[in-house]
Amino acid sequence: MRIQDYYEFIARVRIVSGHDVLEKIPDELKKIGATKPLIVTDKGVSGVGLVDVLKNALGEKITIAKIVDDVPQDSDIRIVQRLAKEYREVGCDCLIALGGGSVLDTAKGINIMVSEGVNDLMKFTGKGVVKKALKPLIAIPTTAGTGSEMTQAAVIEDHEKKLKKLFVSPFISPDIAVLDSRMTLTLPTAITAATAMDAMAHAVEAYTCLGKNPMSDTCALTAIKLIRENLLTVMKSPDDKNGRLALANAATLAGMAFSNSLPGVVHSLGHSVGSVCGVPHGVCMAILLPYGLEYNLHKNEQLTAELLLPLGGEEEFVKTPKHLRAERTIYFIRKLNQDLHDVSDHRHARFFKEVLDREGKRMVPRERLPEIAQAALGDGTVIYNPEDLDLDDFLMIIEASWEGVPLDRSRIKKG
Amino acid sequence: MGDYREVQAGSKPFKRAYIAVMLWFVGRAIQAAARVDKAVREEFEKLPEGFTFSLGVQPHGPYMIVGKNQKGRVKYLGWKPESKVVDLRMAIKNIEAALLLFTFQESTAISICRDRIDFDGDLPPALTVIRAIGIVEVYLLPKLISKLAIKRYPVWSFGRKYLGRIRIYFHSILGY
Ligand SMILES: [Fe+2]
Repeated sequence: MRIQDYYEFIARVRIVSGHDVLEKIPDELKKIGATKPLIVTDKGVSGVGLVDVLKNALGEKITIAKIVDDVPQDSDIRIVQRLAKEYREVGCDCLIALGGGSVLDTAKGINIMVSEGVNDLMKFTGKGVVKKALKPLIAIPTTAGTGSEMTQAAVIEDHEKKLKKLFVSPFISPDIAVLDSRMTLTLPTAITAATAMDAMAHAVEAYTCLGKNPMSDTCALTAIKLIRENLLTVMKSPDDKNGRLALANAATLAGMAFSNSLPGVVHSLGHSVGSVCGVPHGVCMAILLPYGLEYNLHKNEQLTAELLLPLGGEEEFVKTPKHLRAERTIYFIRKLNQDLHDVSDHRHARFFKEVLDREGKRMVPRERLPEIAQAALGDGTVIYNPEDLDLDDFLMIIEASWEGVPLDRSRIKKG
Repeated sequence: MGDYREVQAGSKPFKRAYIAVMLWFVGRAIQAAARVDKAVREEFEKLPEGFTFSLGVQPHGPYMIVGKNQKGRVKYLGWKPESKVVDLRMAIKNIEAALLLFTFQESTAISICRDRIDFDGDLPPALTVIRAIGIVEVYLLPKLISKLAIKRYPVWSFGRKYLGRIRIYFHSILGY
């Protein structure tokens, strides 16, 4: 095993994980001297009663200053500004974010504004601009996927100006992540599958892309193993509390991995399919992951082969001859997608042609593939991918993943 | 050209001078490649008119500045970023990091992964510039060395590679 000449790793989030750990929050708040939280969530989360579960868990011990549940699907600057104002008016002293990636990004944005005492969040865009400790932020993920509870980044969109701004600083990451199995217990199976595959993509890309390091590797391998051991069982019995908790842990571990070893081509293309056609991120990740591994295979044979152990299990690993292991890894990712497709009544898509919106219409029309490939060229994750990609390379991958056929290996330029 | 390269005294003058020469040459070669090479030209066509970027070393330089003028021509604009409006700043964090990059001990991608370069500006143009510099490196350097700088050594026709190389060297040295 080769160790990198140089790397950096940071994970400063305290993690509290268990079946009934929301009840710990009052004590956790006490430890950090906070008493009046603003709870930030979205309509979907409050609609399924998770806010009530949280309220009951907090009990009488702390006064919730306010609950806001109108965070949109994508974080928005205007919402962040409005909620920061409410935070100040009510006199809160900490934040609890209950939800998925967008809720957490929103809470991170609010935190920058109220801690830095500004009215213009956009002053803090970029890397390392936030330079001081912010107000306490507790993250309670309600999907097991994005891993944002571990990341030092927030993406806030300005929908009017059509801008997507990135904020990166170690101070942005939450102080505490509370992983409570009740929070993901009611997640519909199709979303469970997609978000788990997002976590899988984080782990696999963290392990195989240029920023990898021994710390991120360790997180990634454990995350993959947990997903392999639990995803299908949870799909078949969604009430499996232990399985749910395992997936939540996998997502957090994968988050720790990829925030310290940034992802590559799977995310470059995934982001652009998301922005061009609005396909949910996890769905893109599931579809693109085998293609990313295939594309990078000539550079990553060894690393891809190593993934067979967590992905296929010990027996599979031992019985597969060394030179076939990498191919077997790719096979297992495809097989996982197929199994998820089968157990989800075909709602888990295996390729983009198959992705439908609510009206049953195709979300990714074939004629938009060139636009997607073009957008991917401008995505920062390209840098972290082990092999280079030009427009034709992106197009080749997106076309194959649309159709659902493996990459034509002879077309991969090897330099 | 009344200009000459100024070397900050007292702090690693030889290393600084080496980087200064490299930056100066790469800057002029980008200008040349944008005329000679179709792929570089197409990368720059994606950038808006008047777009200017700088690449240099923190905190005291050296720097190079390249920009697109109103006619869409890519020009090397010298080594003084202070007097110019720059849309994209790429600043290597220190002279040692610059040396790793310009002695090809680290590829551009690895340098960025290791957080050795600060970017100030939008991401898509930054990636465009990085791709253009990658192509320029293939022109300027022998395969053995440019393979260390970029991820994938391209397959080019004899004409593109060797005639292109001669033309780019010629234009870079003469500066037009
Ligand atoms: Fe992701």
